[in-house]
Amino acid sequence: MPTTATNPAKRSSNAPNYGALDNQRTLFERWQTHGESAAREALLERYLPLARSLARRYGRSSEPFEDLVQVASLGLLKAIDRFDAERGSPFQSFAVPTILGEMRRYFRDSGWAVHVPRGAQERALKVRDAQERILNERGESPTVNQLAEYVELGTEEVLDAMQAIRAYETVSLDAPRPGGEDESSSFGDWIGSDDERYELVELDATVASALGELPPRDRLVLRLRFVEDLTQTEIAEQIGISQMQVSRLLRRALEQLRTLTGAPTEATR
Amino acid sequence: MAGNPNVRLRLANRPENVLLVRQALNGLAETLRLDALELNDVTTAVTEACNNVVLHAYGGAEGPLEVELSAPAGSLDVLVRDRGIGIRPDATREEHSSGGIGLPVIHALAQQVELRNLDGGGTEVEMHFTTSSGRSLDVPGNDRRPSGAEPSDASPRVAALTVAPAPVAGSVLPRLLSALAARAYFPSDRIDDAQTLAETLLTRIDDSASADEHLTITIDVAPHNLELKLGPLESGRASTLLSSAGDAEDDAGLSPLLERLGVGHEVALAGAGAGAGETLAVRLADGGRRG
Repeated sequence: MPTTATNPAKRSSNAPNYGALDNQRTLFERWQTHGESAAREALLERYLPLARSLARRYGRSSEPFEDLVQVASLGLLKAIDRFDAERGSPFQSFAVPTILGEMRRYFRDSGWAVHVPRGAQERALKVRDAQERILNERGESPTVNQLAEYVELGTEEVLDAMQAIRAYETVSLDAPRPGGEDESSSFGDWIGSDDERYELVELDATVASALGELPPRDRLVLRLRFVEDLTQTEIAEQIGISQMQVSRLLRRALEQLRTLTGAPTEATR
Repeated sequence: MAGNPNVRLRLANRPENVLLVRQALNGLAETLRLDALELNDVTTAVTEACNNVVLHAYGGAEGPLEVELSAPAGSLDVLVRDRGIGIRPDATREEHSSGGIGLPVIHALAQQVELRNLDGGGTEVEMHFTTSSGRSLDVPGNDRRPSGAEPSDASPRVAALTVAPAPVAGSVLPRLLSALAARAYFPSDRIDDAQTLAETLLTRIDDSASADEHLTITIDVAPHNLELKLGPLESGRASTLLSSAGDAEDDAGLSPLLERLGVGHEVALAGAGAGAGETLAVRLADGGRRG
């Protein structure tokens, strides 16, 4: 793990003397008391994955993902500005509700709820088309996994779509918008397993160096899951183990990362 | 949570089972006409609570994940229970750091949260959500089912669902069944069959259910196979469901549908003794369409 002294050169030129970069509390003090915007940027950079991750949570909507990230980042900025580091509680527990609050406000303002059914309808149409197409091509009905792969949605979204198809079978759905690149296609498979992401984002910048200490297979699984954004099932297929094993490997690797980075135990911060 | 829940799920704390909880929630939300935004909050919070059970409650081992849903007027109450370690009950919103960001999320989204230690091990997280939905479900009375065996937790493959009043099953079971059929690699047309079967079965049960009846359904999932077990039911009820309700002349009961869908079925005693009642089991295979 790099010590604080090895890092500063890589950082913003506005902050040439960042000996205590890793010290979160110092960063908050530098920003909140001394108004050093570089410290604020450093904090923002450090916690951006958290904001992105929360934005992802809402990413099944028809709202462009980048918009959601913007809103989440705004919430993060507010949290950075308002956080009271003196109280000694972890920043995340303050930041998460602040970010979620900001996002909810945005959704209300933008009438997001109104758009949701439309997204659901489009997905239902997409899935129904795929069902028919695959049936024609292969002469048999596709499984949910095959459908998910075909339409590039998560299993859960396909299930919801199938439910919608059933419910609206007799009702005519709106025509789909042509050619939409669906942001949600890369959101993991939503079988409760996207949540490892949360664990990962909690382990801040020291993760990268700690990764090197993990066994190669763990590293590979982490990379496939979080960098290449494969689902657990896809990883299982790729490296020839079961999905449950992938799940266990991920859990163990994250646990190890936690230990290696000393996160998020407060004593080490 | 006062009284009996409207929906009770007993699952193994496997990551893939969190999806079942969400599907049950979605189904219930549809019945309640819950606002999409409100549902999103509920789903997020409940997912976090369940993930906590999946990740932390049993220290890497397997154990039960129990979820109870109640929908009295103007609110939705969700209870997530484990029989292991769970969320440390002494963990407050500020202090809790080892359980990840789960608890802050739950606190942020639910109007009221209670954490409880259970005697004999385990934790309950009770979340109260205020909803703008005008719809609510009756608070079920005491369970008046026959005293047959409780669904066993022996196999982690089994998902158990208890609902009251019985018609609530209509909003939850079809979704659960689709998710489980997908897990069993059923092709989508066969998933449709499974749904048809569930809907028909439940319609017939509703016709004969008493107001405060609790209905328990266990679903055993294996690759390419699903087994649905209803009961314990009162003795004789299963046969009535299968054959004919009696009044309508052209009503031949469930049997023709089961035959058309290629579904095997079996009526069995739910346990020892006269009051144990009986169970109706139906078995659905994916039809061997996938070699």
